[in-house]
Amino acid sequence: MTELFIRLMRKPQGFVGIVLLALIAAACLFGPALAPYAPEKIDFLGRFRAPGWQNWLGADQFGRDILSRLMVGARSTVPLAFIATFVGSAAGATIGVGSAYLGGRTDEAIMRTIDAVMAIPGLLMALLLVSTLGNGAGNAVIAIAVAFAPGMARVTRSAALNVRNQDYVKAAIARGEGAPWIIFREMLPNVMAPIVIESTIRVSFAVMLFATLSFLGVGAQPPASEWGLMVADARQHMHQAPWGLIAPSAAIALTAIAFNLVGDGLRDALNPKDER
Amino acid sequence: MTPVLSIQNYTLDYISSVGPVRVLHDISLEIGPGEVLGLVGESGSGKSSLAWALMRHLPENAREVAGSLRLGDIDLQRLSPGELTRIRGRRLGMVFQDPSTSLNPTLTIGRQITEALIQHRGLKQRDASSLAINLLGHVDLNNPAIMRRYPHEISGGEKQRVIIATAFGCRPDVILFDEPTTALDVITGARILELFARLRRETGVAALYISHDLALVTRVADRVAVLERGRLVEQAPAADIFRAPRHANTRALVDAVPRPERRLVHDKPGDQVVLAASDIEVQYGSGGLFRDAPPPATKKIGLEVRGGEILGLVGESGSGKSSMARALTGLARFSGKITFDAHEIHRMRDMNAAYRRDVQIIFQHPDASLNPRHRIDEILSRPLKLYGGHLADIPRLLEQVRLPASYANRWPHQLSGGEKQRIAIARAFAARPKLVICDEITAPLDVSVQAQIIELLLALREETGTAFLFITHDLNLIRQIAHRIAVMRRGEMVDLLPVEDFDADHVHPYTRELMAASPVPVG
Repeated sequence: MTELFIRLMRKPQGFVGIVLLALIAAACLFGPALAPYAPEKIDFLGRFRAPGWQNWLGADQFGRDILSRLMVGARSTVPLAFIATFVGSAAGATIGVGSAYLGGRTDEAIMRTIDAVMAIPGLLMALLLVSTLGNGAGNAVIAIAVAFAPGMARVTRSAALNVRNQDYVKAAIARGEGAPWIIFREMLPNVMAPIVIESTIRVSFAVMLFATLSFLGVGAQPPASEWGLMVADARQHMHQAPWGLIAPSAAIALTAIAFNLVGDGLRDALNPKDER
Repeated sequence: MTPVLSIQNYTLDYISSVGPVRVLHDISLEIGPGEVLGLVGESGSGKSSLAWALMRHLPENAREVAGSLRLGDIDLQRLSPGELTRIRGRRLGMVFQDPSTSLNPTLTIGRQITEALIQHRGLKQRDASSLAINLLGHVDLNNPAIMRRYPHEISGGEKQRVIIATAFGCRPDVILFDEPTTALDVITGARILELFARLRRETGVAALYISHDLALVTRVADRVAVLERGRLVEQAPAADIFRAPRHANTRALVDAVPRPERRLVHDKPGDQVVLAASDIEVQYGSGGLFRDAPPPATKKIGLEVRGGEILGLVGESGSGKSSMARALTGLARFSGKITFDAHEIHRMRDMNAAYRRDVQIIFQHPDASLNPRHRIDEILSRPLKLYGGHLADIPRLLEQVRLPASYANRWPHQLSGGEKQRIAIARAFAARPKLVICDEITAPLDVSVQAQIIELLLALREETGTAFLFITHDLNLIRQIAHRIAVMRRGEMVDLLPVEDFDADHVHPYTRELMAASPVPVG
């Protein structure tokens, strides 16, 4: 594990990604304590104040400090995206490995169902689920997880099909192991590398999807300082105060880039042929 | 007489993450005109590195520390890339191990041969084609239609013939052969060797023949050089190396070569039948709406294994011998009947826990049969948990296969191939089985390791009285240990004889062909 981390840090993309992630994690953990103002503190004299020494990233239409809102909002954006990806990946990976293990008609049935689900775009799917389940951050997490599971299932299955033909799986079948042991202990650990890589890249999609749902008004609800919601709020005042739009957008982009870079770095670091 | 190829004090390092690793130490070899030098060594001895060094195709992390490589009067190490292109193929040919990857799958056979001839001999397209047809005739591919075929449309043996025809057709001074028959089955390999001997007589080309198989090399080479961990330990005429090996390592190699007349098993099996299989048919895939089902991999095979018996199952690749192993262990769907301990089995679902415990399988590739994400103790604990047993038995299991108890904490990738195979054997014996099916378990191992594994299996048999179904393509090996041998060909059993009868006259012609193709050491 530590060896993997060292290898990851040696790659330029891995190093930059890790540093960015550490900053984001710090914002999630200590954001409220470090923020210069309370996120909901309204200052009527400072409406649309441009970035300067009072408000480093400017203020919004109620004079709330954008930097403070971003720092506090990190907590309601990044962890939720992370949880949604984790739940979606875990479900997808289990389905994928299970489908590869069962094989034959069962595999065919599962994969064609997955194909049908994947035909619906992720955002549309999430919107559909949220509108059925009701608005709110918790439901948005479920919706994103469900939208992600089919893709993960497909990626995992293709990796698991190779593992399925390995002799150690055959040996397990021949000695009469049960399906749960074979799926979770024999096969799953051997397809972890593609799953980990795919999920880190998907976290960035989740951040954006989550922001999009909030932007459309079905995710987090005002006055939460969720980043997507901040973009939605600032949109009306785009010409007066572009910083209100730019700062949260940049935060979203930066988070997405950080996870992408770490995913890229992990792909290289997990490749055992890359020893030299 | 000046040698056509001379290697002087050649030393080669590979730069790795732990510093330079020496792969070749001070190698000096010479090949005279028309001479065939055999180069023998186990895996990791550096024999392929030497071939690549001669072809000037070393990996980037290779460092040539000292020595010279000369082809006639040319210093190979000083050639520019452009000069190299003119040397390769034209003066120094090479035939690789795996014919299926050395031909371009998107070009016809004709294109691939004529291109080499046009490049290296400066022929016109028309002359090149007629010469190519002529060359293919020389390697017994007499149908000119093969020129228009693609590599996937011809067999592995035919592909190797095409490559050999190309190599000889450019009339090089020296041809390097890197295990040209290893990827082929026994009979096809034997035909390639005959072809090699004939072409050599006709053309008088010099060759460096690299192989791990000492018995085979002594049949094709004039002189044999033995390489051990990058050091040249012995060079002698082929006829002498078997009779009077001088170096201890050569002697170990010679002793490890299986010889059918040296029996390792002397007892008689019991009379009680452990497992009886009849009419076993394995069918992969089923027919569809528009296509017929493929022919079954085994056609109504029947065999029985007695208590403590070693039954050999021999055949070429594709003969259905592994399918039998899969059917008997419930890994492939089959029809027919298996009787085991008065318990009748008609399909996979009938195999109960007792059957699964009593019939164990050991696979060919130790790398693939141990889960890379499990430590050795976890691998060995599974049969103990499933079939009853105590985790405290793990050190005993390791000791049983002559491995130290400290290996329990290791990962599979920290073990060598032979050690991994020992773990797989320990896992099979942890269940205290009555029958162990060994599916080509020694094929990927070096001869010396193979001999140790066989010795271990026989010792375990002494201790436990287990019967073996031993699947292999190596007839010499199986004749050393088996009580009875079954010979399979294209899914059918052609012979099932006690081992003593293999010298008799009434063996099937195919069995005789198989025996003739298995290289028996000279001397």
